[in-house]
Amino acid sequence: MKEEPEERNITEMQQGLIDFILAGSRPVVSIVLAFLVSGVIIFLQGINPLEAYSAVLRGAFGSMVAFGNTCVRTTPLLIGALGMTLGIRGGLFNVGAEGQLYIGAAAATTVGLLPLPVPSWLHILLSISAGILGGSLWAFLPAYLRAFRGVSEIVVTIMLNFVAIYFVSYLVHEPKLLAQEGASYAQSRTILESAYLPILVKGTSMHIGIIIAVILAFILHFVLNHTSFGFRTRMVGANPEAAHYAGVKVRSSLFVTFLIVGGFSGLMGTVEILGLKHSLYDYFSVGMGYETITVALLGGVNPLGVIPAAFFFGGLRAGGNLMQQTVGVSSSMVPVIQALAVLFVVGFGFTKRKPKIQKTMTQQ
Amino acid sequence: MENLLPQIDTFLQAAIRMSIPLILTGIGTLYTERCGIINIGVEGSMLIGTFVAVTAAMVTGNIYIAVLCAMIAGGLMSLIFAFLAVSRRADQMVVGFGINLLAGGLTLTLMPYLNANRARTILFPVVNTGFLKDIPILGPVLFDQSIAVWMALILTPISAWILYKTTWGLSLRAVGENSKAVATAGLSVIRLRYTGILLGGIFAGLGGATLALNDLGFFVPNMTQSRGFIVLAALVVGKWNPFYFAGVCLLFGAADALQLRAQSFGSVLPYQFYLMLPYLLTIAALAGLVGKTKAPKEYSKPYDPTHF
Repeated sequence: MKEEPEERNITEMQQGLIDFILAGSRPVVSIVLAFLVSGVIIFLQGINPLEAYSAVLRGAFGSMVAFGNTCVRTTPLLIGALGMTLGIRGGLFNVGAEGQLYIGAAAATTVGLLPLPVPSWLHILLSISAGILGGSLWAFLPAYLRAFRGVSEIVVTIMLNFVAIYFVSYLVHEPKLLAQEGASYAQSRTILESAYLPILVKGTSMHIGIIIAVILAFILHFVLNHTSFGFRTRMVGANPEAAHYAGVKVRSSLFVTFLIVGGFSGLMGTVEILGLKHSLYDYFSVGMGYETITVALLGGVNPLGVIPAAFFFGGLRAGGNLMQQTVGVSSSMVPVIQALAVLFVVGFGFTKRKPKIQKTMTQQ
Repeated sequence: MENLLPQIDTFLQAAIRMSIPLILTGIGTLYTERCGIINIGVEGSMLIGTFVAVTAAMVTGNIYIAVLCAMIAGGLMSLIFAFLAVSRRADQMVVGFGINLLAGGLTLTLMPYLNANRARTILFPVVNTGFLKDIPILGPVLFDQSIAVWMALILTPISAWILYKTTWGLSLRAVGENSKAVATAGLSVIRLRYTGILLGGIFAGLGGATLALNDLGFFVPNMTQSRGFIVLAALVVGKWNPFYFAGVCLLFGAADALQLRAQSFGSVLPYQFYLMLPYLLTIAALAGLVGKTKAPKEYSKPYDPTHF
């Protein structure tokens, strides 16, 4: 090889920098393209896309109230995407977030309805714990089947989603259980105020859920990348045979990872009830669990990367409502933009160029 | 008691009718799965098919053109999937969910412009089988159905024959088992996979059209109600065999029909439990299939021609 050692290091570093910029720019380019294509669709409806997009921006970030809405929409997506990220890195594909969040929400609501003689912070803590446990519980069956029986979790979790949704529907229709009597739309009784998540900024709907979510992201990043547990988990996800050979208990790892992922989904449902809705509504999640899959991907399956991805999705949702109200573009354009962003991101791919050293070796 | 027999008859008739969208979609999706691809976006293709079918039926007034348009639309959606999953080698699950999200958003956005749910449009014609439908018990169930049912009845064995008895079917199945061997034999894995995926999309469009035009004649938001996922589940439970798969779909259709009736005959169990039933059964079947899931070996693995 002709290069001297110091020169090769600099080239490697430059190469690394270029790769990093390229990796970061792919989601950005994809988002721009998504807006462009959606802009054409909006234009075909006879509306100026720039007006539409400025409405979205205002609805998402234009005021403290708007930003509060964004945070509120971002929170469950971020939490769910973190769980999804953990799952994927750990070798699982959890499609069951939807069901797990419903069960978590139901569990949290049940505790939130109890007139416990405890201070508010404890009531909240207990409700959240119940929610996390609920989600984990719902993940138990697919976790067991996947870890110890090798049954693909994909179909089982989807089926369980339906079961969960109908089960919760039953809960909020039956007054002996959770239901609010005489409600025009099936919902549970409103939880006690001691279980409400505190609001961060008065006058907005921004609750502490967003803080919890962001802190969780950093915790997950730390655990995944700087603890031995995280290392073992990633090993199992990357190469189960190698992990097994290295002495890692692969099946236990899969099982535990799945349960934790279920807990994240349960937390996702919990914050939605304790922080925003304060009551469990029939069919309250319209595909939020499935949305977290796309958020996780857009964030590069990385705990820190999903933070901006979740804000992007959350901001679009919040802004979409204003867009519909002021410009007349249906807020159903929002999932179109989101979907296009994701499809463009995967379309460009994350394939890295082969490092230079390898190239020179193959050239010999 | 005299009312029971006609009630059972209408129930069975409904069971078959409601299973048809699943069966038709599955005929194509079977090919997709057999070549080693999980197209979870079949739900989106179905939804688009439903929407396009209703719209085309309203615009042209001809049901066959409507169905054709639906099939084309479903095929186009799956073409996007094929490009991203096969050519770009992206993760199939993510692409699939992306497509579903896209289909949901597009149909909701376009709905008001195309009046897709305003007026009822034409339906599939019922096939006149003369005296056959007057046979007691089985007559109305089997012989008083629309052309869509007959399509499913005929296409299922034909698709099985193509899959198991033709060279092309063998190549397709081989791709799902060992794509590298197929490539070594000189066949194009990529072309076979594209074909399998496109067939899945086209039939998903057909299934979606059947959903709207067999009984209702209009479009409502999220009309498919995750039936695409059910098709995938039924394929797994049916061990990727066209006939077993059709049987599983009939069970789902029966459960669907049962749940509608449960609300009226005042049962002890809340109606939500009837809704849950097919899903619980599927899970039980999957858990019972432990160790025997003969999934195509290349299930959801992208084919990378540059790395051997």
